[in-house]
Amino acid sequence: MEAADRALLSSTVDAAVANAAAPGAAPVSVDDALDDLGWREMLAAEPRDAIEIVFRALGAHNATATALDDVLASTLGHEPGPDVAVVLPPFGSSAPPGHIDGDRMHAAGLATRRASTADRLLVVSADGSSLQIASVVASNAAISDVAVSTIGGIDPAGQWCSVRVDASTDIPALATSPLDGATWESAIAAGRRALAHQTVGAARGMLDLARAHAIDRVQFGRPVAGFQAVRHRLADALVAIEALEACLDAAWDEMGSETAALAKAVAGKTGGTVATHCQQVLAGVGFTTDHPFHRFLKRTMMLDGLLGSADEIVLQLGRALLADRTVPTLLEL
Amino acid sequence: MTTGFVPPSNRGLEGGDPPDIAEFRAALRAWLDAHHDELAPTYAAPGTLDEHVAQMQRVKSLLFDAGWMRYGWPERVGGLGGSPMLRTELGATMAGRDLIDPGMYSLVEVLAPTLIDFASPELAADVVPRLLSGAEMWCQGFSEPGSGSDLASLACRATPDGAPATAASWIINGQKVWTSLAQYSERCVLLTRTGTPESRHRGITTFFVDMDTPGISVVPLEMINGVREFAEVFFDDVEVPAERMLGELHGGWGVAMSILPYERSSCFWQRIAYLYQRLQRLVEVVPEDDRTAEVVGNAYLQLHALRARSRATQHRLADGATLGAETSIDKVLVASAEHATYDAARRLLPGVVATDDGIVGEIWRAEYLYSRAATIYGGTAEVQRNIIARRLLDLGEEG
Repeated sequence: MEAADRALLSSTVDAAVANAAAPGAAPVSVDDALDDLGWREMLAAEPRDAIEIVFRALGAHNATATALDDVLASTLGHEPGPDVAVVLPPFGSSAPPGHIDGDRMHAAGLATRRASTADRLLVVSADGSSLQIASVVASNAAISDVAVSTIGGIDPAGQWCSVRVDASTDIPALATSPLDGATWESAIAAGRRALAHQTVGAARGMLDLARAHAIDRVQFGRPVAGFQAVRHRLADALVAIEALEACLDAAWDEMGSETAALAKAVAGKTGGTVATHCQQVLAGVGFTTDHPFHRFLKRTMMLDGLLGSADEIVLQLGRALLADRTVPTLLEL
Repeated sequence: MTTGFVPPSNRGLEGGDPPDIAEFRAALRAWLDAHHDELAPTYAAPGTLDEHVAQMQRVKSLLFDAGWMRYGWPERVGGLGGSPMLRTELGATMAGRDLIDPGMYSLVEVLAPTLIDFASPELAADVVPRLLSGAEMWCQGFSEPGSGSDLASLACRATPDGAPATAASWIINGQKVWTSLAQYSERCVLLTRTGTPESRHRGITTFFVDMDTPGISVVPLEMINGVREFAEVFFDDVEVPAERMLGELHGGWGVAMSILPYERSSCFWQRIAYLYQRLQRLVEVVPEDDRTAEVVGNAYLQLHALRARSRATQHRLADGATLGAETSIDKVLVASAEHATYDAARRLLPGVVATDDGIVGEIWRAEYLYSRAATIYGGTAEVQRNIIARRLLDLGEEG
């Protein structure tokens, strides 16, 4: 996409998401706004620009949306649509949410709010050393044990869901088929890039709030932005955000599960670093629900846990480095 | 390989277009593999500073003769042209193979461009090839006892022998400090005060000084790791010809600042390659358990984020961007990642760093201690954050 087209699209998406996510708007309106913008067509035609622009806007405005389902479904080889939801791994994990045990499939994981209304749930399960994907028709009476419940947790505004499936693999309504391990890896990678972009948006949102507060807030007769201790916290927040942006550019330029995992891990750490510094600078006002900061804090805590937390990715990464006894340099000039 | 790039030693030095970076990288790696034995250090590890300096100059000489050291430099100073990223790649590849120390090598990356941009064409053509080929070592006379973070307060005085515009020579008096490798250097790029003491950055002039000029004395300082890499340099009525002025009279601040884009791009890329190599060395010897995995994984994550950021900076520079305050972000990241790498080593090899008097302990201990300078040299971590706050976050003045 040309830079000018991209900038126009970015401002259009940002304005639409901001408008739909504004307090008082109907809870479905962000998804509707994305539908109106042709989000799924953009995703198919220009995935990098579409994901970067849309997810950054979702993060910047704390929007509750289900676009992650479209990213994952399309990478898993299914036609994305408003009635197709994907069951995510449990909080913190990136392992397939389900496993096949004889002729039974058990799955437990998270999902966006789309799972509560979708016709079909895509469930990836480990079957020994291979993978199966089931397209579960949620309303089918033959599957009695599909439980989708909205969770409150740290981020109730996100309307995240918990999903449990316990079903016989024999029934046609489950429509199970083998899934290539590489396809699952690609889906996780695509989802991680999207979530990392969402974290960039949220982190910049927090920094904007803290910066504005530091300039406005007067103590000891001067704006607190004049104090070096405050300035250095905000500087460290910006350093973390810029490093994350660079990791994301690298994750698109050198697409693969490694660069996506690293971007997601950096996103998790950046979300935490930026939230800590900005909360301290916002001080008392950032500790209230009158101020929007708390929504960013809670959302970034949730985002870190989706498709592998920073802690989990770092541990897996470290294990791989020790197993291979090799430190790869993934990026070249 | 579509343009048929052939390693320069095999084709003569004058023909052919400069290679693109992928061709260059592949051909360079093959050449370095083939010449491994010639290039490898001839001393037993860890080696002395004398041996490290001799190694770097020997490697530069071999690479210059084979042509590699000439890519990315303009033809008017003995280069073979091509993107400056070629020389960035060369330095990083050598640092990643432990053939040179990136800190010492950085003097080439920052001082050759200074001469190319600010010296007379004749002077640049005469001296730059000597630096590139390892025939000479140069040092950088910037910091003073009273001027560290506040470089614009420097006081080392240059006085014209006659009227400033027509003086045939200048007389320099004063002191520099933290001057790396001064005792090995044939030349010094020196910042002097030519305006009033209060003129700050408006009254500084740069000179290119021969270190064997009468009146210069060098007193090496022992660093925290026992190495005498940097020095105090004293100037006592040192006479420098006027044609050795780099840039304009009172234009020295611009000369000093022109170094920043190189220091923050190619030099960082080379240090990053070195840090990856150190983490590689660490993962080869540490136990395989989850505590270790977490420490190693976190260090790798920091290196990757730094490398991603630095890669973007190299591309911006190559695309013609003017690098500025945003490179303070690169500087914060490189310092943090260097600390993280050696903190990992210290945590995972505690007895080695603290009590091992063998070669392995000596190397890790010296490097660990040296790594603590990462948040101090080249602009402290605090100065970088001040710049980020003022220039990138637009937080207004302090206080």
